[in-house]
Amino acid sequence: MPDLAVNVENLVVAYGSFVAVNSISFNVKSGEIYGLLGPNGAGKTSTIKVLVGVLEPRSGTVQIFSNPISDEVAAKSQIGYVPEEVVLLDSLTPREFFEFVASIRRLDANSANSKLEKFASAFELKQYFDTPIAALSMGNKQKVAIIAALLHEPRLLILDEPLVGLDARSSKILKELISFHVKKGGAVIFSTHIMEVAEKLCTKVAIINNGKIVSEGTVEELRNLVKSAEGSLEDIFLKVTQQEAGMQEIIKALEEE
Amino acid sequence: MNFSELWRLSGIIYKEISFQSIFSLRAGSMLPHRAETDIKKLVSNAQINTLISKMLTAIFLGAFGFMISLSIMTPTTPSYSSRELLIAGGVSAYLAIVLFLITIMGLQVSTTLISSKIAETLSAYPLTKNDVSKAILLCFLRIFDVPLITALIMLPLVYYIASGSLTGVFAILFAVCITEIFALALTIGLAKFFNTKIAGGGGRSKWKTFLRFFYMLVWILPSFGIYFVMNFALEILESFASLTQTFSALLQILALLYPFCFGFIAAFAALPQKTDYSLLTLSLASSLAYLAIATHSIKWLTKTVRKIGLTKATSTFKEEVKDTLIKPQPSWLGIIRKDLRAASRSPSYASILLLPVIQTVILAMSFSSFNDAGVNSALGILIGLSITILLLPITMLSIEGIASSYTRSLPLKRKTLITAKTLLTIIMYAISIAILSTIALLLQQDFTFITLYGIIHAFSIAAASMLELTILANKFWKEGFAVGNIYARLSTYLTILIPGVILAMTPITAAITAYIIAKHLTLAMFIGIALSEFALTAFFTLRKN
Repeated sequence: MPDLAVNVENLVVAYGSFVAVNSISFNVKSGEIYGLLGPNGAGKTSTIKVLVGVLEPRSGTVQIFSNPISDEVAAKSQIGYVPEEVVLLDSLTPREFFEFVASIRRLDANSANSKLEKFASAFELKQYFDTPIAALSMGNKQKVAIIAALLHEPRLLILDEPLVGLDARSSKILKELISFHVKKGGAVIFSTHIMEVAEKLCTKVAIINNGKIVSEGTVEELRNLVKSAEGSLEDIFLKVTQQEAGMQEIIKALEEE
Repeated sequence: MNFSELWRLSGIIYKEISFQSIFSLRAGSMLPHRAETDIKKLVSNAQINTLISKMLTAIFLGAFGFMISLSIMTPTTPSYSSRELLIAGGVSAYLAIVLFLITIMGLQVSTTLISSKIAETLSAYPLTKNDVSKAILLCFLRIFDVPLITALIMLPLVYYIASGSLTGVFAILFAVCITEIFALALTIGLAKFFNTKIAGGGGRSKWKTFLRFFYMLVWILPSFGIYFVMNFALEILESFASLTQTFSALLQILALLYPFCFGFIAAFAALPQKTDYSLLTLSLASSLAYLAIATHSIKWLTKTVRKIGLTKATSTFKEEVKDTLIKPQPSWLGIIRKDLRAASRSPSYASILLLPVIQTVILAMSFSSFNDAGVNSALGILIGLSITILLLPITMLSIEGIASSYTRSLPLKRKTLITAKTLLTIIMYAISIAILSTIALLLQQDFTFITLYGIIHAFSIAAASMLELTILANKFWKEGFAVGNIYARLSTYLTILIPGVILAMTPITAAITAYIIAKHLTLAMFIGIALSEFALTAFFTLRKN
């Protein structure tokens, strides 16, 4: 039986009086790619920030490979995280940044260097190794964040919109890396707006709307659940987030303009 | 677009630039995205902050103008035998202050303006390139409006009231105008320099690192220039008067140099009966040369500011990268190295990191006037040094704020973070004490007390640093407080700084008390308290985190 990589129970995240995540529960097993989908402001990033220990939840429990998130070092050591907004230490160069991350994660120099060489070559980042991150393009910053997340061979990858800004080649490589990661027994939580990617890549998806999980399962299960959806994940998504109603009228009105 | 529309547009740009320079970079992704009222509050805080910065600069300029006018108009000090030299020195000091203060005040916002993509954003709208350029130029002037006007009014006004010389007023007005142009050009030059040489300056070699550090020193020089001028304004004035009286040949050279040439013109305009015509001719000639430079500067300035955003501000570093090797260190050392690297590319952090050392050098300059460098002097020096050094832990932790979300996602123990930052603080403190002792030794002063008490006080400084870091780290971890944003919240800043200062001052206060009551117990009291503070704070910090 696969390990339980992530176990979230009754998670509530609030910013003052605004409740961003309203008592959600889900779990992710090793070998799974769990897609978090939802419209803008649905609560995906807030959920992810709690999982990586950036945000304190108002209530609920989160466990990463049976370690409560409050046991920060044990839980965070298992995670590789790519944030939605790639705000890294911009004044450092990628080399200096990787050195800092490797120091904090107490990585062995030989193993870190061997991985770094492979990733830098795969993502074509070597030429920017000594350029301050601030001077890099958004795509290259994203590559730095992805490599930093993979460097310590984490058991759990948490990727918040990781494909934003990436070129086709790097997107393809990242998707392959994700597949390879789960084949080796790792787990992935993946947030995206690109329905095609989620449909092809995720073994399980959860659709969040207004801070609640409104639907969860494999794409096939969701299809069966939402009978009137024509079949694509995009249709299912619009249906369960109740965004479909009136959409034709809106499109028609726009066309008439 | 007519002028009023352009002015309104420049106001919007200015609001955005102020916000970017103060909050968005420092707060990283810890801004409370959800609460609209919080965002509104942050925007208004940014505007208030920039306004306060302008007002403070204006108040400083006004106060200096007033003080200098008073001192040159009522020469009571016996050493000031020559009134015209006093006026020349006073006006020159004022001009130097205007130059440095305006530069320093506008540097941060101007650097943000240079690196912003504001022109790119505006160019997407139906505005002509010329309108975009004009709006940016007006926005640049908005950064400096209040101080520029204050500098222009204050000294001429007070000077006129005190001397009644209208010619002198015009001479000073002319000099202040030239200085303001120099200050604006210097600001934009330094901001460009920062983006091309420091922010975009990559490279791995030791030479590249040295060059970057050197550029950083050049960049932050005006901050220390103002620190120096403000601390020693009257001494500079006195030295100027006495030097020029002793070496009259020096006057000819000074008359050629900025800002002294303008000082001489103002002096001769106020006191025509004392005019030295050869000196006046030299001053006028060099003033004309500076006027030509100012004219050229204003053209360059206008061209440069109008081009902002139309060209890439940060140059992309190009050098062949031979390998991708890294050298992971123990966590605490990794943090120290990262902090030093980040500070080497961030002027505000570099300034605060180097401040204790620079302050020490300036402080040590006064050693020659000491009758003896005994316990009292040593303790007095330690008070000043402690306050400056205790700004460091907060600054060093606020560096994390730039990428707070990312840092918090790493498996980093709080005690590792606190230990690393405390070590860095102690390293800077130790360098300061070493400089103090060396200069005391060179000036043949007794350095025993400074060295001895300085070394012992390191324990107290370490305790104070741990305390400050624990308070701030708790806010960072538990409350999700954007540590990079600490400077915008003065009350929070003070509630962190004050306990640290109290801890550092306790052994000093106890030693001074013991020195008065029972002199032989001074050292024992000092050691006892400093070590106890360190032991207790270390115990609680390491146990709790």
